[in-house]
Amino acid sequence: MKKNLRFLSALFISKTAMFTQKLFGMNASYFPGKLAIKLCPDFLGRIDKPETIISVTGTNGKTTVCNMIIDALTANGYDVLSNRAGSNINAGVASALISGCTISGKAKKRVAVFEIDERSSKLIYPYVRPTYAVCTNLFRDSIHRNAHPEFIFHIISESLPKESHLILNADDLISAGLAPENARTYFSIAPMNTDLPESINIINDMRICPNCHHTLDYRYVRYHHIGNAHCPSCGFASPESDYAALPDFETGTLTITHHGDTEQYPLVTNSIFNTYNQVTAITLLREFGLSAGQIREAFSSLNIVESRYSSETVNGVEIITHMAKGQNPIACSCVFDYVKKEPGQKEIILMLDDVFDRIASSEIMTWIYDADFEFLNDDSISRIIISGVRCEDYKLRLLLAGVPEDKLICVSKEIDAPDYLRFDGTDKVFILHELYAADEAMKVRDKTAARLQNFEGRA
Amino acid sequence: MEKQIIIEALFPEIANLFGDRMNINYLKACLPEAEFIDTCLTDEPAFVNQPVSMIYMGSMTESQQELVINVLRPYREKLMELIDNGCIFLMTGNAMEIFESYIENEDGSRVNGLEIFPTYARRDMMHRYNSLVLGEYEGIKLVGFKAQFSHSYGDNSNQHFYKVVRGCGINPSSMLEGLKRNHFFGTYTVGPFLLLNPLFVKYLLTLLGAKKRQLAHEDTIMAAYRKRLLEFENEKLKYQ
Ligand SMILES: [Zn+2]
Repeated sequence: MKKNLRFLSALFISKTAMFTQKLFGMNASYFPGKLAIKLCPDFLGRIDKPETIISVTGTNGKTTVCNMIIDALTANGYDVLSNRAGSNINAGVASALISGCTISGKAKKRVAVFEIDERSSKLIYPYVRPTYAVCTNLFRDSIHRNAHPEFIFHIISESLPKESHLILNADDLISAGLAPENARTYFSIAPMNTDLPESINIINDMRICPNCHHTLDYRYVRYHHIGNAHCPSCGFASPESDYAALPDFETGTLTITHHGDTEQYPLVTNSIFNTYNQVTAITLLREFGLSAGQIREAFSSLNIVESRYSSETVNGVEIITHMAKGQNPIACSCVFDYVKKEPGQKEIILMLDDVFDRIASSEIMTWIYDADFEFLNDDSISRIIISGVRCEDYKLRLLLAGVPEDKLICVSKEIDAPDYLRFDGTDKVFILHELYAADEAMKVRDKTAARLQNFEGRA
Repeated sequence: MEKQIIIEALFPEIANLFGDRMNINYLKACLPEAEFIDTCLTDEPAFVNQPVSMIYMGSMTESQQELVINVLRPYREKLMELIDNGCIFLMTGNAMEIFESYIENEDGSRVNGLEIFPTYARRDMMHRYNSLVLGEYEGIKLVGFKAQFSHSYGDNSNQHFYKVVRGCGINPSSMLEGLKRNHFFGTYTVGPFLLLNPLFVKYLLTLLGAKKRQLAHEDTIMAAYRKRLLEFENEKLKYQ
């Protein structure tokens, strides 16, 4: 596409807006791009782009994977353009491209890494054509926005340019089938002793064969539909992987087998979820052309920031705050599983209400019946204090999960929740909070800490 | 002796998109003596060869709707007969559309339904409709959530499930929600319909022949229901 007058004036105005926003210390990662697209609807098609574009999409892990890729490329001397810390819809990508070009619209950098919101694929990919398109995974997400994974699958699959080389997860039979005509590289995690023979989660959106609709046989499952499966009727199966990883959490090493060669990397996490993210990033970086040594070096100084997690110990009891994204059954199930598996005797404060819905509306609560509250039915959990407007809904859900009623306490105000902790043999208090309830969670944590400080009952 | 209650859940491997499966789990908790049958897509449905008291199906994806229509089509006459004979059907979310005359795509192409109801559905995959709904059925106030791509059109004035008080019925300009014939209840409201509506569960248990039954976790489910109803009846509440 040519740079017409409309484009050039949109670029000038949006660059001016960006300059002004930055001058006043404002975040300029959304508005300039939105303005440019408003003034010139095919702005994304007309602006110059870096030669190599790496896009990262998927339900979970895309921010983590983007950060790893950008950090590893930067550590290896690449000057990377990205929408990191900005918006991942078309306006965010446009803002990044505006900041990365001259006033005449010429690209200043040679490599770009963009995180792409799944639903925005159709607005971005026709113009910003990725050299490498990474998809971490596809899962059920918010029902208002994302409906179901099949819907998102079709949006992405139908908007990916034919020339994009795909980096896909062989252990995710949903996203593994994206854009079947495109060249692709698969990664996977090899069988581990923690694998399960079948999914124990409520949600498994890959139960039937997409070809003949027979129930799939899973060789092993990690969580939900992530694992390795085949159809006993027609032979449909998980694809072979090009990069097969094996994490060793004891020694902190990640071994990757690629075309018969093995490569070792420092493992930057102790969770399987982030291991997938690291393997995704390594696969992309190897395909991009970095050597195993270059990647190893970059990862040796890298650490995943658990920004939505805090821990402090008061009077011998550890208080842990952990984000549990409401309306997202997969994210919550994952957190519940983590809490269950943590050692020690636990008390839990749940604060999962949608803080916006409860002001003017009534939260759509279907998602709690998709989330595995069953994981909280465990002997190591002695009490669950459910706080917020929707506490009776959560209580009903937990009762259906088999949690004895005498372990459950409902309080309508979050800040009152710590009053009901008993610290009777408690090693850990988990405060599981919604994304937008982080500030309130800190108050609840402080009140818990203050109660513990003055608590005499503990030996 | 009370009649054995048999409840068949159709295609739980796919028809469970918005927590719908918990309707069955809740019925299990309320009816420990009942028999529950899960029927997969590749199984012959139980209702073909044995008496069943109730058939349940939940929300699914659009392509799965087409799959289910094809699987159920050979049993259309049997399904009609069951409805006429008073077998209970509960269809939540877009499972209801399977029983309509057809589903129309944006490009005008049509997927023929089981044609048990004369209404039809129209998809609009670019616009998701999310809303709350408050209605009333035989003196029972019903609450629900809608999250859907399609609406139904045609006349359901003699075959609707319930009258809408706030929100919308089978389409944005209808105040009559869902489809009903005899004991067939179809509603677009998604997911845990029974868990949101304990008074309807009581009604359902009576229909099933389990009268004067205490609900499972009755105090909690009633407390959750009363609180939600109070919110839904608040004129200031945003429905969309
Ligand atoms: Zn098959």
